[in-house]
Amino acid sequence: MKSYKKLIQPYVIWISIFLVVPMLLILLYAFTSQGNDVMTFHFTFENFIRFFQDNVFLGVLIDSFRIALITTVICILIGYPAAYLISKMNVKHNGFFILLITLPMWINMLVRTYAWIGILNDNGVINNILSFFGVGKVHMIHTEFAVILGMVYNFLPFMILQIHSSLAKLDKSLLEASSDLGATPFETFKKVIFPLSLPGVISGITLVFLPAVSSFFIPKLLGGGQLLIGNLIENYFVSTGDWNFGSAISLIMALLIMVSMYLTKRLDKNGGDS
Amino acid sequence: MKKRIGSKIFLGGMLVFFYLPIIYMMFFSFNSSKSLSKFTGFSLRWYEQMFANKTMLESIYYTLLIAIIATVVSTIVGTLASIGLSRSKKILREIVIQINNLPIMNPEIVTAIGLMLFFTSLHIEKGFFTLLLSHIIFCIPYVMLSVMPRIRRLDPNLAEAAMDLGATPFYALRKVVIPQLMPGIVAGALIAFTMSFDDFIISYFVTGKGVNNISIMVYTMSKRVNPTINSLSTIIVLFITVALVVVNLVSMRKKRYTNRSYRHVFVISAIVLGLGIAGLNALRGNASSEIDPIKEYGCNTLNVFNWGEYVGEDTISGFEEKYNVTVNYSVFASNEEMYTKLLGGESYDVLIPSDYMIERMIQEDMLKKIDLKNITNYGGLSSEVLNLSYDPKNEYSIPYFWGSVGIIYNSETVKKEDVEKEGFNVLKNPKYKGRIYVYDSERDSFMMALKALGYSMNTTDEKEINEAYEWLKELKENNPVIVTDEVIDGMINGEKDIAVVYSGDAAYIHDENSKMQYFEPLEGTNLWSDGMVIPKNSTCPLLAEEYINYNLEESVAEGNSAYVGYTSSVEKVREKLANNEFKGNSAYIPRSGYEKDEIFNYNEKMKKVLAELWIKVKAK
Repeated sequence: MKSYKKLIQPYVIWISIFLVVPMLLILLYAFTSQGNDVMTFHFTFENFIRFFQDNVFLGVLIDSFRIALITTVICILIGYPAAYLISKMNVKHNGFFILLITLPMWINMLVRTYAWIGILNDNGVINNILSFFGVGKVHMIHTEFAVILGMVYNFLPFMILQIHSSLAKLDKSLLEASSDLGATPFETFKKVIFPLSLPGVISGITLVFLPAVSSFFIPKLLGGGQLLIGNLIENYFVSTGDWNFGSAISLIMALLIMVSMYLTKRLDKNGGDS
Repeated sequence: MKKRIGSKIFLGGMLVFFYLPIIYMMFFSFNSSKSLSKFTGFSLRWYEQMFANKTMLESIYYTLLIAIIATVVSTIVGTLASIGLSRSKKILREIVIQINNLPIMNPEIVTAIGLMLFFTSLHIEKGFFTLLLSHIIFCIPYVMLSVMPRIRRLDPNLAEAAMDLGATPFYALRKVVIPQLMPGIVAGALIAFTMSFDDFIISYFVTGKGVNNISIMVYTMSKRVNPTINSLSTIIVLFITVALVVVNLVSMRKKRYTNRSYRHVFVISAIVLGLGIAGLNALRGNASSEIDPIKEYGCNTLNVFNWGEYVGEDTISGFEEKYNVTVNYSVFASNEEMYTKLLGGESYDVLIPSDYMIERMIQEDMLKKIDLKNITNYGGLSSEVLNLSYDPKNEYSIPYFWGSVGIIYNSETVKKEDVEKEGFNVLKNPKYKGRIYVYDSERDSFMMALKALGYSMNTTDEKEINEAYEWLKELKENNPVIVTDEVIDGMINGEKDIAVVYSGDAAYIHDENSKMQYFEPLEGTNLWSDGMVIPKNSTCPLLAEEYINYNLEESVAEGNSAYVGYTSSVEKVREKLANNEFKGNSAYIPRSGYEKDEIFNYNEKMKKVLAELWIKVKAK
């Protein structure tokens, strides 16, 4: 297989150009000011000072992480039991159920999110049903609730699939051994199943938290002008055309995400050791 | 037993949650009216419209074409790179894996802007090529992620043995290595296809020149609710359900995936997709006429960049037929978005920006003078829209639509006197708390604040602007919902009682729901117009002038104005529609000659100040 070693060389060049250079460009824009021309830049920290000096931007940042965190927790709370129940089904049902969960993901995310507007509207499906039963209207659209619902809706399948695949890999004889040794089902779950499924939970968290924190069309469509960090970036790139500040915000967000992902991974390692 | 029922309810509830929007969408794709909340009867009109809608067919075509090419290329490159990687030194391997993780572990928006900055700095024009390249770039790491674990399980001696027995490295790769990696490769290809097919964020930032995929089309189509998108999604759902059921039945029968069954699946899906693409290509093709556009105009494709839902249904196809050319039609959601796209290196032949943006582009020397000799229909334009301050002699721009900004209110729940007496201040009236839409635009918001305070909307006085900022913050206490074009559907459905809208949207809303009345505040408002311009870097200016002139033809202008609801710049068309389609619809005829009304002036410094303040108003 030594002769295949050369296969990597073109790819190294490829990623250097198309993956590394774009990231360096973001870095360059974030630390420079003025103009959208690469040739005329000045080195500066101004973009970062502007961000951290203003409560408004910090507020948006905190909101984004808070909403993404709530979304992730809800996804674990629903996704874990769901994946657990699915993994306990027999093979035939199991495959069918996974299919049912993957199917909606094939429909465009935007279209599915649009559909929720019609469902959550003040005169929408849910409120029509409620008023049919004589219950008063509940205001749902354009609230934080709607944003979180939209995020859970879009990202929950990732969580379920990740946890399910780690539960499916579980060696059944371990569970038998555990109960043979006198553990109650709850103890088996706590001491055997859960620790072994933790890698699935961790990668599920990554797949939910990452898009949730940076999403911009879900808050835009369901939040009614609610600003999250993704909207700020879109705004500075698309509307305002201030690419330097936009790059600085992206960099801050990316770094914070990297730190939180690192901490999550640490959690896994510590959990594994004990 | 009890536990079982509980778990069934739990999983059942979850499925309801997953499928509710999909069923809802499928249901309303058969609705006979545009409404997304009232079912008025069964009809197939949205399916018919879908197959007649060129923009939509084109977006499906591009989505499929890009997904297929990106999948094939990224699967091949990703597999070869994974094999190479497994043989390379540990340090190199670690570095490559880390870099590969960049698009996976970074939020998509970061990858997207990185690529956008990359293409812009290299002055690569954005379009099909950049879109395809970006998809290949972000798909490869996912393919590798799924192939690499398989390689780790591979016995390296197998390939060595094959070569010892006289196989060339390539032969061994093809006959020994690849077949063993097949499950990983297929999984990787599937992931790549899904990622590419569904991608929105990256595509949104790296495309141009009218090349849109389904996601971008949906995003820019938000101007007016267009149920054809539900029809499209319904067809996709049915198609995928059938495909998945077939695949599952085949695999259940065969129990195990064999290489041959993979090959069958590949061949069948390749044929189906190929036929689909060929069919779409045929559908989006255009009829020809006698004219030879290359001879007459020196080119045969025209790139038009306009607002979403801002053109009549037959305007584009009519132009294509008449002049035997292809029109690449793209849309934007704001003047600023259009401007940024031009800065990003995209080139177009005809743009339709608003007054202040035209002024800015003239100042920045971005526009080409229009030869009025070629605009033979110029004489039909209304005097109200000619020779305005942004382009005093109409050297650079030909008006398209015009109108005012005003308040639309539900005449059953809002007192007429309140609106007429208070003007824009009615938005702060606590009686209507939480029942208000405000348009998400710093210009329009500061305009209404400044007008409500009795100042000029073009003020540069810091004190006045600060007062306006405070006014908007107070308005925020009244819990308005800040939206863009969702306001149209929202008001038609009576979701809220008061909204700030453009007169053209008001005309459309009133047309669909006659309870909604339009009012132009007495403290004055913004009179705006959108004009057709030709950017300096247009490669087809003669044909562009022909397109501009074509849009002033009475039948074409009538088609545009009647469909969109905005006031036509052509005098005869405005008069005709005001007496027919829009009879009794006051929003169709904007107020003119009122001294307190103003036109926007462009001021770069003020624009930045207002943009920043508006973000702060929204974020509070």
